[in-house]
Amino acid sequence: MKQGIVEDFCTIELPVGESFRIQRCRYDGQKSPKRISIVSGIHGDELEGQYVCFLLGEWLRHNPTKILGIVDIYPAINSLGLDSITRLVPFYDVDLNRTFPGSKNDFLPAQIASGVVDVMRGSDIAIDIHSSNVFLREIPQVRIAKSQEETLVPLANLLNIDFVWVHDAVTVLESTFAHAMNTAGTKTLVVEMGVGMRLGKAYGHQLLDGLLNLMAHEGILDIDPLDVRFPIQSHVGEVAYLNATRPGLFVPVIEHCQIIEKGSVVGHIVSALSGEILDEVIAPIGGILFTIRAYPIVYEGSLLGRIFGEKS
Amino acid sequence: MKRFDIVRLESPNRAPLKIEGFLFGDEHSTGPTVAIVGAMSGDHIDQLYVASGLVEYLRAKELEGLISGKILVIPAVNAYALNMGEKNWPLDKTDLNMMFPGYAQGETTQRIASKLFETLKGYDYGIILEGRRDQGTCLPYVKLIQSGYEDLECVKDLGIGFIHYRPHEPVETAMLQYNWQLWETKAFSIVFGKNGSINQEASNEVHTAIIRFLSKRQIVNFHVFEGRKSNILDPNRITILKALRAGIFISKIRSGAHVKKGEVLGVIMDALSGEKLEKMVSPCEGIVTCQYSHPLIFQNSIAFRIASVELCCQIDTQKKISS
Repeated sequence: MKQGIVEDFCTIELPVGESFRIQRCRYDGQKSPKRISIVSGIHGDELEGQYVCFLLGEWLRHNPTKILGIVDIYPAINSLGLDSITRLVPFYDVDLNRTFPGSKNDFLPAQIASGVVDVMRGSDIAIDIHSSNVFLREIPQVRIAKSQEETLVPLANLLNIDFVWVHDAVTVLESTFAHAMNTAGTKTLVVEMGVGMRLGKAYGHQLLDGLLNLMAHEGILDIDPLDVRFPIQSHVGEVAYLNATRPGLFVPVIEHCQIIEKGSVVGHIVSALSGEILDEVIAPIGGILFTIRAYPIVYEGSLLGRIFGEKS
Repeated sequence: MKRFDIVRLESPNRAPLKIEGFLFGDEHSTGPTVAIVGAMSGDHIDQLYVASGLVEYLRAKELEGLISGKILVIPAVNAYALNMGEKNWPLDKTDLNMMFPGYAQGETTQRIASKLFETLKGYDYGIILEGRRDQGTCLPYVKLIQSGYEDLECVKDLGIGFIHYRPHEPVETAMLQYNWQLWETKAFSIVFGKNGSINQEASNEVHTAIIRFLSKRQIVNFHVFEGRKSNILDPNRITILKALRAGIFISKIRSGAHVKKGEVLGVIMDALSGEKLEKMVSPCEGIVTCQYSHPLIFQNSIAFRIASVELCCQIDTQKKISS
């Protein structure tokens, strides 16, 4: 068993007897210059990635001779947020994943973003693990901007995930970690799985297998590729969004990740005050319910679920 | 004056969210039109104050028959956040000014932005009252981003001392100013004050600047005093002074101060031992346009921004030599 080397970077003094820091644990096999960065906790309320980091670290510590290249694990980018159940950067209330590529001459979140890009620059691959948020529960999936489809989909297919979602680029995504790193030449995948403020052991083990398989294919680990699942590809179907038509309490009637038929009931929006059922949420298409709302309070427009089905 | 709901959104448990508009002038007027948007965040109190002050001011002028165009004022976009000391949308913590142009079939804040944007489209001029995104206090300045549709000449009519004229950042493509410009409204932002508070001096200056703009653009039919000649700044013309250490921050000057090279602008003390850790000395002569205003400061925070005439001259000289 061999420990990784833990290093601090992006250290910034805080006002009262403490320093902000981002920590990295590096495992260097010194047989290949190939480098991968595993990233989690850009949002302080997303914990699934922390569990994957633990599982990967545990595997690497027990299998040091299998490491060829460099594996960098960054479990807690927004470390202040993670230790205080805060999604945004505390003190500034800013979404760190809307601050990239950052700048050394801007406010603190932008300086952190800039420091993160600098330390990961040169990585061949980065995997940015998210848990959606506290509102939605997701199956393990990778989301890729259309412009990067050709480069990134083959990599995503190795990750043992359930779904690869190629979507049209949204301008706001230009300020994300993934966009900044892809622009800097690091192939970066965004994994979404589970739900905020919780961790799911099964998803964690599923993604661990995917990471090991990807690193085997990329020559970072000296192991045989794993027998992993091939994900559903978004181009073969369509995604239907279920948005609340009324404010109230959303009560689902089916479980996450179920196959449902067009016209079936997904859940109800109810009034806690009057005891009425305000709306019945109906599946507009048949398919797999790959997103479902986990936090029950909804406004008009709140996302209740997403269904992936065959193109109509 | 017509007071009306632009957005009315029912809540699961709270009273409905209302975004109210105050419309002045004849709706069918062929004169120029302007929309003024106030607090989009829950900590933009200065912006709320200026916008509501304009409503009161314009109401009196309208009674005197002095409105020749059409003016819409929206004092508060995010009343839910204002009413509970939050900055962002209270449920999902999204920033409403990151949701434009909105999406009518999307998430709640996308729907709010969409409804608001539908009302704002078509105005000749768009004025956004913005706070800062950091812990700073700044002199009022105009933020004009380069989208290809911006109008630099019209913002000079405000008579505000500084215009920050620069390319847009990626994150700004989801903001109101950028999208408003794409829809051919001459939109710009006035950034001022300190979040969470009212700076009377800055608020007065912005109030007067907007009235001046309305007068010069013939949206109101009366004259006002001239303002300042605007200096157009790009980021290269601002000298940044960062805190080398963290601790308790004591500023020795106020925003707007003309400072000399070598002048002490502030000190940082160790928050526990009281030891003086850093004396912050101005590296140049210029005007302090912005300063950090929270009493506790992080290492590397930008403590002062200084608009330096010397640096401007250097840049101008270099440009002349290179051309």
